[in-house]
Amino acid sequence: MKSVGWPILTASALLLTVSGNVLAHDPVFGIGPHVLFKDGMEAAIEVHQEKAGDEKESELGLELVYGITGDWAAGIDVPYVFKDDGTDTSSGLSDLQVFTKYRFWREDSLGRQKSAAVLLAINGENGDEKDSPPLGNGATDAIVGLTFGYEGIEKYRWASARYVLPGKNDAGFQKGNKWLVDFVVGWRPTPPEYTKPDTVWLLELNGEIADNAELNGTALANSGGTEWFIAPGIFWTTRNFAIKSGIQIPVSSDLNGTQDKPDYRAKLSFEWHL
Amino acid sequence: MKLTILKKTAVTGTRLLLAGTLASIALMWSSASFAGGTQYDLRVDGLACPFCACGIEKKFTKTEGVESVDVDLKKGLVIVKTGDGKTFKEDELKTIIHDSGFTMKSMTEKAR
Repeated sequence: MKSVGWPILTASALLLTVSGNVLAHDPVFGIGPHVLFKDGMEAAIEVHQEKAGDEKESELGLELVYGITGDWAAGIDVPYVFKDDGTDTSSGLSDLQVFTKYRFWREDSLGRQKSAAVLLAINGENGDEKDSPPLGNGATDAIVGLTFGYEGIEKYRWASARYVLPGKNDAGFQKGNKWLVDFVVGWRPTPPEYTKPDTVWLLELNGEIADNAELNGTALANSGGTEWFIAPGIFWTTRNFAIKSGIQIPVSSDLNGTQDKPDYRAKLSFEWHL
Repeated sequence: MKLTILKKTAVTGTRLLLAGTLASIALMWSSASFAGGTQYDLRVDGLACPFCACGIEKKFTKTEGVESVDVDLKKGLVIVKTGDGKTFKEDELKTIIHDSGFTMKSMTEKAR
């Protein structure tokens, strides 16, 4: 039987796999409505790290995306994690994620694109939940999302909301449902030229509102709560290659019971359109 | 007698050389006429990001006969140059642009 402290670490593990979708030109931590050109392939390598008190998690992920149509893409995220809860360490394959995004609305004009998309993602339960710290939560989780984006020659803005519906594992543990909301602005200081490197600066406001986790139907006091982060980031591209990076800095934490507040979260990704 | 044969040979040789030269010029001219291909200037909406616009180039360069693709983001222009004999219908171009995630507004076509 797992100790009460286990769900807290597992809650942070879910966070990494929730924010996995790279698809550019989208925010670093939030999601955007971008998909991929028809029959296009995208390959991305992502590095995430987060620290909360004595707990630290690092993740190396491989993401592959396919453009089914010019408005619909699907992909898979394969994460390999390294965990340290201050007492034990573990490493290995974490829960795989499969996802699909459909851009159902698009309005194009000269130098501008406004669009909206829906997202559906499923986190598998292949990560070893018996490891210490556990590499997965032993349950299948679903994530649904809605996102709007405005992309211009000089300025960007996005707004998105995702709802996480965690499953229950064999031990009767279930994380709390969670809302993830994101508001992002971007600025391109130098007008883009097609064959030259391009830089966009990003600033995100990311919110997470989570219910209490439950163990066999009983709410766990030291779980759930509300957190807000400010996340500066950068998006640099040249031709079909992109580097995206950002850091989440907590600005407000209202966590239930006794929980370690996050110190920081960082993300770096390298992306190719093939 | 020998002089007459030599004169006839020289004249024949000159005529052959002239005919060969004219044939070569004709061949080069006809080759030049077909080697130009076509240039399509497409007015495309939604272009703001070079990384995203690269998808248009990817789609076109998978098509046989396309020699080059260039994009002017500020003017919303995609310039496609094709080789000898390769032409596009307007609907084909609209589909390629749509499949790339953008909208084609108009096009012009000219011989290169």
